[in-house]
Amino acid sequence: MAEFDVEVVFTVALKAVKDAGEIIKEAFYKKKAVLTKSCAVDLVTETDQAVEKMLIGRIKENFPNHMFIGEESVAAGEKCDLTDEPTWIVDPVDGTMNFVHSFPHSCISLAVLYHKDIHIGIIYNPILDQMFTAKLGQGAFLNDKPIRASEETELGKSLVIAEFGTNRDLQKMESVLKNITALMNKVHGLRAMGSAALNMASVASGGADCYFEYGIHVWDIAAGTLIVREAGGVCIDTEGGPLDLMSRRMICASSEKLALQIIPLLTQLKLERD
Amino acid sequence: MTEFDVEEVFTVALKAVKDAGEIIKEAFYKKKAVLTKSCAVDLVTETDQAVEKMLIGRIKENFPNHLFIGEESVAAGEKCDLTDETTWIIDPVDGTMNFVHSFPHSCISLAVLYHKDIHIGIIYNPILDQMFTAKLGQGAFLNDKPIQASEETELGKSLVIAECGTNWDLQTMESVLKNISALMNKVHGLRAMGSAALNMASVASGGADCYFQYGSHVWDIAAGTLIVREAGGVCIDTEGGPLDLMSRRMICASSEKLALQIIPLLTPLKLERD
Repeated sequence: MAEFDVEVVFTVALKAVKDAGEIIKEAFYKKKAVLTKSCAVDLVTETDQAVEKMLIGRIKENFPNHMFIGEESVAAGEKCDLTDEPTWIVDPVDGTMNFVHSFPHSCISLAVLYHKDIHIGIIYNPILDQMFTAKLGQGAFLNDKPIRASEETELGKSLVIAEFGTNRDLQKMESVLKNITALMNKVHGLRAMGSAALNMASVASGGADCYFEYGIHVWDIAAGTLIVREAGGVCIDTEGGPLDLMSRRMICASSEKLALQIIPLLTQLKLERD
Repeated sequence: MTEFDVEEVFTVALKAVKDAGEIIKEAFYKKKAVLTKSCAVDLVTETDQAVEKMLIGRIKENFPNHLFIGEESVAAGEKCDLTDETTWIIDPVDGTMNFVHSFPHSCISLAVLYHKDIHIGIIYNPILDQMFTAKLGQGAFLNDKPIQASEETELGKSLVIAECGTNWDLQTMESVLKNISALMNKVHGLRAMGSAALNMASVASGGADCYFQYGSHVWDIAAGTLIVREAGGVCIDTEGGPLDLMSRRMICASSEKLALQIIPLLTPLKLERD
């Protein structure tokens, strides 16, 4: 088992994310060459790949025994197995659709797990210069200022993020519409910003009260899960049980009480595990 | 007819908006006393009222002959008549729901019209420090840097903003759902940020390609209309004809070609005029 010193790892991770942010900033307002993955709206660019390659290199250089799960590596055929070893889980550009459109809500999402527990979570939007961080047991921060989830418990006063997703499968799209319909006249408002990690950061910083999604991957939610929890919020399975990072679904909220009022309104989906 | 010197008026308007931004920033992360207007999700706070009062005072001080249409004044019983006189049209806090939740997408929206043409448009998000401005015939700017709409013409590559709105009337909600269903598998992506003016600013700056709204008021769209047009985009009626500022509906887009592909997918709504 590789050793794990959270402060040493965090220092390297933070620097790596900042440097990766420069790659994104450089490319953000330029024209992008865009490829599609599973369907016409599941996008990838050379920036996604450059950022991931840079981060893998940084990890190998500093921690040759650590493991790595990255969105583009998995897309290229790498496995997505989570063991007890220190494991870095990375989405190099979360919100690629936004990045392609120069709509300023994209981020790097990076988490480090050890014994399958999330010890470090970092979400960085380099365009708006928002650095969300958390270390297990040490609270959550935005640009080094502490953040807290909103503590909202009332359904009717909750601002909920509900995404349309990047999957055009008919069953998925029907469930998205059902969920929006079920929520729209019961909550304070619905929002859709296009980045899973930044949505979780919104819940962690109190701006939104709940975000759920079916179809996300472990790399979309690992960092956000720690940051929401360290901010006093909850992150659980969409059926109310404990979160399973590989289950492709998640609900996070300012309070368990709120999550448990939203859950019965949702149409559940079972998806192929990561 | 009062005289109109665009540079002089713009200088006063810009300073007024910056000062109003300080009122919003001061209150943003605090707890708010919230009242409802037409329904449970049509909100107003003392900040909306304080900002509008401050702006009216600033106008009267500098231009005692100018006229004024403001969201909270109209809510309090003032008329909403647009004449050829120099008229300031103001939404003191656009995205009040977001403001109440400390979700950082609120803004002041201010326009100045003369002979019913929009000569000045200013949209200011003081939390993210984004100042969008335009003067008729002089281009559009974000923090003094020129901005351009995206020039997107393809429906399938367009990022579209579609809001759920703050009207729980059954017919309105049904039309919102129909529009979302009609668009969701045809466009690149759907977004909902919760502020009409900032949505228009997104189209003007190229981040989004289209935003339409039924139920908007003149104060939500007047500034954005000029800014989108000065950025090279279009702003027209949801049935394709010229925009009627008092019609309670609007579609703006990166190009007329794109708008005309989206319009046939929309369910039309006729609403009570401003």
